Amino acid sequence: MSRSLKKGPYVDARLAAKVEKNKLGGVREPIKTWARDCTIIPDFVSATFLVHNGKQFIKVYITEDMVGHKLGEFSPTRVFKGHSGGKAKAAAGAK
Amino acid sequence: MPRIQGVDLPSNKPTHISLRYLQGIGPTLALQLCRQAKLDPQRKARELSDEELARLAVILDREYTIEGGLRRRINQDIHRLKDIQAYRGLRHRRGLPVRGQRTKTNARTRKGPRKTVASKKSVKELR
Repeated sequence: MSRSLKKGPYVDARLAAKVEKNKLGGVREPIKTWARDCTIIPDFVSATFLVHNGKQFIKVYITEDMVGHKLGEFSPTRVFKGHSGGKAKAAAGAK
Repeated sequence: MPRIQGVDLPSNKPTHISLRYLQGIGPTLALQLCRQAKLDPQRKARELSDEELARLAVILDREYTIEGGLRRRINQDIHRLKDIQAYRGLRHRRGLPVRGQRTKTNARTRKGPRKTVASKKSVKELR
């Protein structure tokens, strides 16, 4: 179920303030954040965030297309490197 | 056979049923269209006059995205998700379910036929 329109998008207030401050100060430094649930609003466009994924901070540069998504969508929390053996084993089994 | 939007040829079924042969038109929209074009939904499609067909075509053209245009839009949406590196885009790329379903079992629609990996036991038996 999607969020009630009445409430408007959820934006982390402190994060929004920080973006605003950086913009005014002309600072182009990435903003470190844990607020993965924060919706990307048009004001964030062309800002850079370091979004925490539980382990590291993933650098996310905000483009216009990303508006309306949440920061966490761009910072994957899981690593899948493939199953053990994988291709090599499958080739050996075919012999 | 009547023809709307190029190649689509709905059959000799009631109008509201045959309209559903167009991609992007389901039960609700089909009835809504009949109402908009002031047609009897129960009349057979082959009884539609050219003028009535034209009326339908105009409404479809003006207000709805169907067929090729709809397919294109869906593709664009998926492409956009891939381009911006969103989680949903990554799932599309890997051919896995996009909306958080489990993948330990099931999810065969997205993953395709099972790729069985030989268990340790059966590998031993082979030797």
